[in-house]
Amino acid sequence: MITLSNVSFSYEQGEQEGCLRDVSLTIQAGEVILLCGESGCGKTTLTRLINGLIPHYYEDGKEISQLPLYETAKLVGSVFQNPRSQFFNVDTTSELAFGAENLGYPVTEIEQRVAQTISEFQIEPLMERNIFRLSGGEKQKIACASVAVCTPPVFVLDEPTSNLDAAAIDEIRRLIGIWKSQGKTVVVAEHRLHFLRDLADRAVYMRQGRIERIFSVQELKALSQPQLEQMGLRPLWLENLTINRDPVHGTGGSLDLPRLFFSHDHRETPTLDVKDLNVPAGAVIAVIGHNGAGKSTFARCLCGLEKRAKGALQFHASVMNAKQRLKNCYMVMQDVNHQLFTESVLDEVLLSMAEKDETKAEKILESLDLSHLKTLHPMSLSGGQKQRVAIAAAIASEREIIILDEPTSGLDLRHMREVAQNLRRLAKMGKTLFVITHDPELILSCCTHLIQFENGKVVLNEALDARGAEKMLHYFLDAGKKRAEYTEETI
Amino acid sequence: MQAQLFQSAPINTSLRLDPRTKLLMMFILSVIMINGDIRGKAVYIRLVLAVIPFILLLFSGRIKASLFYAALYAAVWFAEAFLVYTTSGAANILIVMLAGMVGRFIPCAVMGYYLMTTTRVSEFVAAMEQIHMPRAIIIPLSVMFRFFPTIAEESRAINDAMRMRGIGINSLSKNPVALFEYRLIPLLMSIVKIGGELSAAALTRGLGGPVKRTNICKIGFGVWDFCMAAVMIAALAAYVLIQRGTL
Repeated sequence: MITLSNVSFSYEQGEQEGCLRDVSLTIQAGEVILLCGESGCGKTTLTRLINGLIPHYYEDGKEISQLPLYETAKLVGSVFQNPRSQFFNVDTTSELAFGAENLGYPVTEIEQRVAQTISEFQIEPLMERNIFRLSGGEKQKIACASVAVCTPPVFVLDEPTSNLDAAAIDEIRRLIGIWKSQGKTVVVAEHRLHFLRDLADRAVYMRQGRIERIFSVQELKALSQPQLEQMGLRPLWLENLTINRDPVHGTGGSLDLPRLFFSHDHRETPTLDVKDLNVPAGAVIAVIGHNGAGKSTFARCLCGLEKRAKGALQFHASVMNAKQRLKNCYMVMQDVNHQLFTESVLDEVLLSMAEKDETKAEKILESLDLSHLKTLHPMSLSGGQKQRVAIAAAIASEREIIILDEPTSGLDLRHMREVAQNLRRLAKMGKTLFVITHDPELILSCCTHLIQFENGKVVLNEALDARGAEKMLHYFLDAGKKRAEYTEETI
Repeated sequence: MQAQLFQSAPINTSLRLDPRTKLLMMFILSVIMINGDIRGKAVYIRLVLAVIPFILLLFSGRIKASLFYAALYAAVWFAEAFLVYTTSGAANILIVMLAGMVGRFIPCAVMGYYLMTTTRVSEFVAAMEQIHMPRAIIIPLSVMFRFFPTIAEESRAINDAMRMRGIGINSLSKNPVALFEYRLIPLLMSIVKIGGELSAAALTRGLGGPVKRTNICKIGFGVWDFCMAAVMIAALAAYVLIQRGTL
């Protein structure tokens, strides 16, 4: 049983975000608790309280817990949001053993535990692999498995599915199901609610550091879509989503890819093999497909980052090879930190201009609500603001084709809507957008066209009208099930 | 696409060495190679030692790399043995310098490459624990190894972003400092962030507790370890004797 009574907590810099104000919560052993609420409501802080990182790691609070962290490690297993930064070894097998090694268990016992976890989670194919070469979903599975090896009674997951595709989310659902059936206590902080609706016992809704309400699972399921939206929550049922944008006015013209081909070294099957792809210019094109289906490779090839990609793009009567595409396309990366270079927001926009024009740059900032931030260092901004700066730089570069790589991973409803609004703005300027995403809500709120990748090929290419939307949702609902069956067969 | 530093998969090699042996070899090889004379009897010792990284690479299946190394070292050897005596002037200075540098450092670099690509982090940690290295050294070292691929990954992403924005060689001429800054600042930022998250994750998994850590990694000496160690120690002994003039 976990009891929090009258806990208040704030971070050192006096930030309002993520504070806790007088939180009391009792979690029974064996319960699955969903923590939900907008970004900054204190979900993550609450998880850190349970896994002991507060007050040990994020030092400030008074003696909330007297237990040293290595003792907490035996009681609570933690899985974090970013799959890239929570493994300590380079290979999967050592990683599974890592926690148990730290606790000083004897070697034979560790080997037994590892073997048991591997069979429980059905992850044999992932063993003895380089973690750096796994997909995000596979990394997250390894993260879950490696905390499970220590068999703690409590598991805490902080937005575990932010960076995952539909199939991988389904896998995480399966793993949480295993823990639930073993009688473990599981606390999950999440924005994506739909995959947990049949697993959670209670949902704790937080707002501005307080627990606003605790729902039983029946109460949670009874919430209507407007009620959820008012609470700033993502949908519980993907089935009910509908198109949520203005009708499309095409700009005319099209963007043609007679052939785009790319193959990694030493591989027989090409990583990407696009033939006769034809999409309307000025559209907002959703690019969907499983992890590893070729979406990212497509994006890299399209904007000319892969020099060895073969093929040309025909756009507005010009034919562009890789080198020219690099000058005409702009990619807003998933981790925007990689593409902000300068010391102020204004400089960042100026850097993208062929001829530096400060008034024009200010106009662009104005249009994205960034004017008041123009003198700040881009790195000091919030995630959403950084993304807007990257978009501003894209606009300043005057490139016609803009590619966005998972712009809404890990975002709550409000921030997702902001992104959708920014994308609609870009579309209004006549830009052609490719949006790689696993977020059906985002697609329905701004995209006008849909392409789906599978095994490096485009398997679906159509307008996102009512029928297209149905197909898209069908893909997201089915993706999990199909993949799960597939992996079971291969094992 | 990926950095090859520090292996993950089991290494398919018929010549498997303990990390401690590899470290010993690395140490002796570096001492002799970097010090080494290009004249006198010590030359033969250097020749023997230069062959060792070649053999190791060959047995660990890195045939291309081993052949490349062999060709490079043969060229250096040829230069040191013949060209140095038959040329004069600037060409001579250039050859002496190049051959000297390459001949001294390449075998060590190749040995280092072998060490890195055929040792797992956990093997390395186990070896360090065996020789009673303090934890204050082992843990930072192992984190460092964990970070090499991360740095490579991040740096690739930043490179892509720079290319896309057209920051590159063209702007180098205008403002070389800025180019350096553009590359370094985002890299540092993301490494600091990943580092913070990583240490939080490690702490929740019990790293830093007072219990003695176990290690499931099995390391141990085999026939090859004794052979290699014997060769290296003999080489070192011979080298010392030559230096003192007794041999």
